[in-house]
Amino acid sequence: MKTQSFLKPFPGSKTIVVILLSSALLTACAMSPTSPDGSEGVRAKFTELQQNPAMMTYARVELRNAENAVQLAEQPVDDNALAAHRIYMADRMLEIARAKGESRMLEAERAQLAEQRDASRLAARTREADRAHADAESARSSQAKAAAMSSREAEELQRQIDSLEAEATERGLVLTLGDVLFATGSSEIQGGTNQNLEKLVNFLNQYPDRRVSIEGHTDNVGSAAFNQTLSRQRAESIRQYLLDRGIDYRRLAVSGYGYERPVASNDTATGRQQNRRVEVVIENRE
Amino acid sequence: MTHHPVRRAIGPTGFLTIIMVAVLMLAGCASAPLPPTDSLNDARDAIASAEQAEARQYAGAELEEANRHLVAATKAVEAERMIEADRLAKQARVAAELAIARTEAAKAAIINRQMGRSAEALDEEMQRQGDQQ
Repeated sequence: MKTQSFLKPFPGSKTIVVILLSSALLTACAMSPTSPDGSEGVRAKFTELQQNPAMMTYARVELRNAENAVQLAEQPVDDNALAAHRIYMADRMLEIARAKGESRMLEAERAQLAEQRDASRLAARTREADRAHADAESARSSQAKAAAMSSREAEELQRQIDSLEAEATERGLVLTLGDVLFATGSSEIQGGTNQNLEKLVNFLNQYPDRRVSIEGHTDNVGSAAFNQTLSRQRAESIRQYLLDRGIDYRRLAVSGYGYERPVASNDTATGRQQNRRVEVVIENRE
Repeated sequence: MTHHPVRRAIGPTGFLTIIMVAVLMLAGCASAPLPPTDSLNDARDAIASAEQAEARQYAGAELEEANRHLVAATKAVEAERMIEADRLAKQARVAAELAIARTEAAKAAIINRQMGRSAEALDEEMQRQGDQQ
């Protein structure tokens, strides 16, 4: 209406000029410089954070600063580097707002967690009080049980050692297997089984971390070489016996000393018999 | 006067030209770009704070980014591209601030997890003791 009346006094070519001008102006509007590429990203991120009520509660100031940065980033500029810089700044400020919001939310939750923990503690105390009497009784008895157990274990070990008739030495428990085990000049174990060896097997099964050194000895009858070999063979047959009974080979070491280490005089028959022996050394636990 | 011979030699137009050139040169000197000292200092301070806050452990990538921007800013100063240097320094600062914020969030989360666990452990223990009865 107003525009029409304004146009009326200028008919003909002037109207065309006016129309051209206004259309040019309109085009200018339509082509008005747009926001830099990438600024939609920060705008979307901002909108997302803004819709999160926790963010509005805990990071209001940071979010407002970030919004200013987003608006700046959206302003049209010719300088691409400047546009990229503004988008970068806006994006990082949004992320800062997000992180700060998270931190503050976690801090706020902490009060609740503390309450929860206090409630748990209170419940615990109440129950403890309720139970204190009964507990004291059972605790005493279980403690006594534990003590009895460990002393029983120690007793058991001692009993085992005693039954092995082993001698406690610096090197460990030394179990001496006498001459009667073998036929003269032979390394075969007589009778196939032996009570002392069975006890040793039991002991080694019960204490699987103990290692064993098997050492053969002889009297001085015969040559050194013969005795050395015989002592070694006798030690070996003990080892074989233990292996057959399932003891791990890695726990067993063997050596033959011949007549180098007598424990009695070789001048008497009794002395010589004592010297013909195999010593099983059960090494001390490290 | 000492000026007269010169004026005579180059004429009035030439003299004016010389003055104009001199003025332009002076103006050039006056607007010689200065390094963005404040921005650079702010960036360095922010990075130092981030390191203090153990950002290396909790937000290593962000701290790394901040350092990268600072190095680029220093190079831009050397090349006398001061506007670019200023922008890079600001980016270094904001990246370092993000490193700090994320470090704090990570630490807060750890504390909360521990608190939650201790409450749970207490409850569980009570449960177990209750079952034993």
